[in-house]
Amino acid sequence: MDVLRHILPAVVLAAAFLGGWESYVAVTGVSPLLLPAPSDIVTGLRVERAEIARHAAATLGVAGLGFTLSVLFAVAVSVALHFSCWLRRGLMPLLVASQTVPIVALAPLMVLWFGFGLLPKVLLVILVTFFPMTVSLMAGYATLPRAFRDQLVSMGAGRWQVFRRATLPSARGHFFAGLRISATYAIVATIFAEYAGARRGLGIYILSAKNNFRADLVLSAVVVSALLTLGLLALIQLADRLTGRRYQRTAHA
Amino acid sequence: MLEVTGLTIRAGAATLVEDLSLDLATGRLTCLIGPSGCGKSSVIKWLSGVLAPELQATGNARLDGAPLSPPHPGIAYQPQADTLFPWLTILENAALGLEVRGAPRAAARDRVRGLFPAFGLQGHEASFPDQLSGGMRQRAAFLRTMVQPARVLLLDEPFSALDAVTRLSMQEWLTARLAEDPRAVLLVTHDLFEATRIADRVLVMARGPGRIVADIPVTTPRAERTEASLAETRSMLRTMLLEDTE
Repeated sequence: MDVLRHILPAVVLAAAFLGGWESYVAVTGVSPLLLPAPSDIVTGLRVERAEIARHAAATLGVAGLGFTLSVLFAVAVSVALHFSCWLRRGLMPLLVASQTVPIVALAPLMVLWFGFGLLPKVLLVILVTFFPMTVSLMAGYATLPRAFRDQLVSMGAGRWQVFRRATLPSARGHFFAGLRISATYAIVATIFAEYAGARRGLGIYILSAKNNFRADLVLSAVVVSALLTLGLLALIQLADRLTGRRYQRTAHA
Repeated sequence: MLEVTGLTIRAGAATLVEDLSLDLATGRLTCLIGPSGCGKSSVIKWLSGVLAPELQATGNARLDGAPLSPPHPGIAYQPQADTLFPWLTILENAALGLEVRGAPRAAARDRVRGLFPAFGLQGHEASFPDQLSGGMRQRAAFLRTMVQPARVLLLDEPFSALDAVTRLSMQEWLTARLAEDPRAVLLVTHDLFEATRIADRVLVMARGPGRIVADIPVTTPRAERTEASLAETRSMLRTMLLEDTE
């Protein structure tokens, strides 16, 4: 009952939107080449499900691998930046600059440099998802209350012990926030990379559907990509819930 | 057993504490009292090795005659803020000091567990700090401080966050605990009633720059300390503290 009340507004709004869309297409008789009705998209999904599933699996594989490597990389880099002031001053501006490069320009270059295989796509996913996670972690490290640090130092803890026992646990909330932001980018970045050149994946599927004037299939693939992202977010939420009960407690400091 | 001589703490060009000396003896509870901003917290932070990086200190400290460079295992520090980690259970929190100093986890926790009854925390080993009352959290913090083998305890306003009734019972509890387990205690406070109720000796600090202006022994046995018997000492302290704020 509680769950129902929670999701009801979203369901009502979505139903109203889709209903409006469906009736608009029916009333105006707009060409399905231009604007397919939601029912056309569902039909496309049903008819093409095997093909879409094959491409979606490829996308999910690349996104999953890229995202996992990106998390490991972000943790390693944030720790290095945390411990080295010199590195922080040197690397931070470069990292910020790296985010100003438009992904549209980067994706074809990656394909040009690294071919049509896994590497350019994984690299692109890392490049896009790594930054928000690193920034979130750095912000999380900075939330450590001074008194917590002092308490540990007075007990004889060195920098690493302070980090492991207090800084890292205090950054947990920020880490998961960064993880959620990055997860939403991961699938989109993969599709971008595939769009620039790939043998399999939702990106290349969307490209060929577009070239065949199948707007319905383009949108079917979009629906699947949204579902993949939501699935990834749900997984992160679950991991947070399962491992984090004790970290959601209130501090008194 | 702990001796500090010639301690000067500067913040850039300003002098926060000037040429301060003090000594602490085992089994004695010394209260360091003074108006806010007189540098009393800075003194114990320096002794604990956690003086803010923007402050510069010069001075000597000796523990049992040997030169001391803080942080030192012989000194346990309890900051003013409640520093129980919210993500650790009371047992894990209480064992933190021992674990940081390298005690194996199981041994540290066994040792701490044995002290839970004496600190009135029995049955709360697996509780988290936010499930405990303010007084219990404070006792858990004391447990974490006192389980360390340190013979000198530096306590920065340990009762300031408690309500008046809890504060009174915790003051009594602490002095009883210290009677069973004597240490050299320096307790920072700005509350002269608290100081005269629990201290064996009161050191009064004044501002601008911070220095000790009076060293007052409180010789009345704790059991006989009544409002009437402490009135004289309190009025003397009040005069000194008020003079300084004017």
